[in-house]
Amino acid sequence: MIQYQTQRLSMRFFMLMLVLFALQVGFGLLIALQHIDPSLLEGRLNFNIARSEHLNLGIIWILAGFIGTILFVGPLLSKRELAAPWMIKFLFYALLAVTIWNVVAQGFAREGIAGWWMGQPWIHEGLEYLEAGRAADIVILIGFSILAYVVLRTFPPRKDWNEIHWALALGVIALTLVWIFGLFFIERQDMSEYFRWYVVHYWVEGVWEVIHIALVGFLLVLLFDAKVKSVGYAVFWGVALVWLSGLIGNAHHYFWIGTPEFWQFWGSLFSALEPLPLIFCFWHVYLDAHHDRRPLKNAPAFYFILGSVVLEQVGAGILGFTMTFALTNVWSHGTWVTPAHAHLALFGTFGMLGLAAAYYAVPLMRGVERYDERIGKLGFWLVFVGMLGMAFAFALGGTVQVFAYRTLGLDWFGGDVFPAMNFFKMLVPLFGALFTVGAGVIVWDLLTIGHRRVRPASDAYAPPRAAVATGWGRTLTRYESSLWLASMWFFGAVITLGLLSFNLASVQAGDPTLPYVLAWVGYPGLLLVTLLFVWRFLASLETRVDQPAREALLPMHPAA
Amino acid sequence: MSCKPGQPCHEGRLRRMALGVLSAMALIFVLLSVASFLDSRGQVIPADVSYGEFGAVEGRRVFQAYNCMGCHTLLGNGAYLGPDLTNIYELAGPAWLEAFMPSARGWPTAAAVQVQLQKPEQIAATGIDSIDEYLARYPAAAERVARRGGGSTHMPNLRFRPGEVGKLIAFLRYTSMMNTEGWPPPPKVDGLAFALASPMPGAAVAATVTPDAVAAAAPEDPVAMGERLVADFACTACHATDAGTLIGPGWGGLHGSQVTLDDGRQVLADDAYLAESIRFSDAALRAGFAAGTMPSYDALLSAEQVDAIVAYLRTLSGEAQ
Repeated sequence: MIQYQTQRLSMRFFMLMLVLFALQVGFGLLIALQHIDPSLLEGRLNFNIARSEHLNLGIIWILAGFIGTILFVGPLLSKRELAAPWMIKFLFYALLAVTIWNVVAQGFAREGIAGWWMGQPWIHEGLEYLEAGRAADIVILIGFSILAYVVLRTFPPRKDWNEIHWALALGVIALTLVWIFGLFFIERQDMSEYFRWYVVHYWVEGVWEVIHIALVGFLLVLLFDAKVKSVGYAVFWGVALVWLSGLIGNAHHYFWIGTPEFWQFWGSLFSALEPLPLIFCFWHVYLDAHHDRRPLKNAPAFYFILGSVVLEQVGAGILGFTMTFALTNVWSHGTWVTPAHAHLALFGTFGMLGLAAAYYAVPLMRGVERYDERIGKLGFWLVFVGMLGMAFAFALGGTVQVFAYRTLGLDWFGGDVFPAMNFFKMLVPLFGALFTVGAGVIVWDLLTIGHRRVRPASDAYAPPRAAVATGWGRTLTRYESSLWLASMWFFGAVITLGLLSFNLASVQAGDPTLPYVLAWVGYPGLLLVTLLFVWRFLASLETRVDQPAREALLPMHPAA
Repeated sequence: MSCKPGQPCHEGRLRRMALGVLSAMALIFVLLSVASFLDSRGQVIPADVSYGEFGAVEGRRVFQAYNCMGCHTLLGNGAYLGPDLTNIYELAGPAWLEAFMPSARGWPTAAAVQVQLQKPEQIAATGIDSIDEYLARYPAAAERVARRGGGSTHMPNLRFRPGEVGKLIAFLRYTSMMNTEGWPPPPKVDGLAFALASPMPGAAVAATVTPDAVAAAAPEDPVAMGERLVADFACTACHATDAGTLIGPGWGGLHGSQVTLDDGRQVLADDAYLAESIRFSDAALRAGFAAGTMPSYDALLSAEQVDAIVAYLRTLSGEAQ
């Protein structure tokens, strides 16, 4: 079932990803509770340290998922075994060591010990997203170099590259290069922030998205037998649009950090174009999933791919768009409005891709021809709804925060701001608990697929109940898809107007009605449409199972 | 692959075109970046900013070492548990920060801020040595003292080393001097007039802001007077009333006990020792505590008041007056 033995090297990275995912969710739940009661674990595990762990583990498990996926598809793309398997084994232990070290090292912030030596903080550095100290940074740089080396050595000669090769190669090289900008202590706060966004923004919008496009493209080839040529076309334009919009789009981080006003023009203009590749990618997933009428080979894998592309559209594309203009960002900046975007975009886009790849690769590597897909589907719906709910809580809580904190100028978080946000503060751990259950289901399922004792005649292995391809399950047409997409953007426009309305004189005089109404229409509208669309899309694919060609019974093997 | 199935491909040409446009954009980006950090822009740099002997660059290292960004935003970036710190120096001033940071779990009272006014670096930075003048110059300090003074915050106590508070103040002075292009947007209304602002805390704090009213009521018993002074000066932000250590030594059982000093001597914590420690804390510093953490209260308390506080401390050792 596995064509190349070195593909199995990806297994350890997928397993590490799952363990770190579970840990990260645990820290997330803790800081959500600390937001309600800041004295929780005070002095033992303060909020700032728990949050660093939450951010860093999030980055590391997403990277572990990328590495696992790249190692799994690398031989298929190259039609030969991976180069230098010993280096990959070393990479795994280095990643494991650096993860454990960094989890411990963040705790030194409690005593104010950063390990300053030769002007650099070696233990931890207390910069958001780049909390890892210099010692870990250097190991990570070596790790990225190994990954880039292995990928490039495995690939065929350059004249044989297709667009997926190009995107992955550019992605792993850029991953390494961009990291270098985070390796220096810079005295000036404005310049330090300027370079910090080189790593954070260009990773996400320059590198991760490129790798994401390439991997989603190839997973679609594997899952739907889509033509490499058709996917390659999408990958080429996707990557081109990501870089053409994202390069100057980084300017949206330079509005208020002490850099000049002209960035407001460039940032507002170019980062408003950043959703274009995401719309493009979204549309191609629709096309590739509908190029024939054959049923899904591996439902959970496709559930997560669809989740990834849709949440990229909604979280990164639409919610990013709403706060990317200087006139809206001046309000959303530094408030809970931002994590609504960040959670959907990061977990949605990149996290779900890793989970999708794991659902595709792990059963194959364990030699499981068919597995109980219901558990993976259940896990998907739990984390999907949980994350949409958290985004709702962050976004509405953030809208209240903007009014109390910025418009009224109240800055007593414990006395004025938090009480106003309290309802939404409670919603975060509630939806977080739903998400945690989903994460637990997924992690348990993927850890034990192929190892669980199964009853051979179990219902789990029977195809789903007969459904008629009408109503909610009827075939999704292009026309209908474009209506769904348009309604998402309609609600995105409402949200943008809501943030813009904070500029009105009446709102600044203390009347929050308009921004509140627009936020209460926009955010729930957008998130509900997202939920319904994914449900509709998947329902239409599920009904395919009952059509005459029972392809699902064929062994799943890569079609490269 | 840059073509749809069935159409002729022009991969090389398209890739070159995309790279050409990308290079043009990179050039624009680099030019904008260079322009951002030219000296002619007049942006303040941390090497030029200090607070007393403390430099802002050193302050930035302390800021990172405690991972302040893990709870607070600075320039709007960071976490959203605590308030943005960009302009806190300009709003609340150095004396309020001096009073707040060593015992961050409690909000400083007016008296606690007043104690810090005598610090030479504070006077050098603000030129102010009277509390009324200070609160008029820093309205955010006045608002914090009036509405929150004596209450507890959501921030944990951090055990800062000597000098770290001064360095942090230097760094926050630098960030408040930065030109951030108008962010955060200044509010156009008085937020305190709105229902979202929590009402002023009740009688307990009201008593501390009008101590004269209490004093006028009756000739005061020394223990009650000491207890009131302890509340006014927010001493319990640093000193627990049991034997536990918050920032300074706990008071429970302290009077009448043997304490070890910084230089290794053992002394009896009697009335004279405690009174001297209140006036000049560093004169006979306890082992294990940093010099310079507790300010001198000599200029602020009369002999009678010091004796009253000592009388109150005696009761915490279960002794009679």
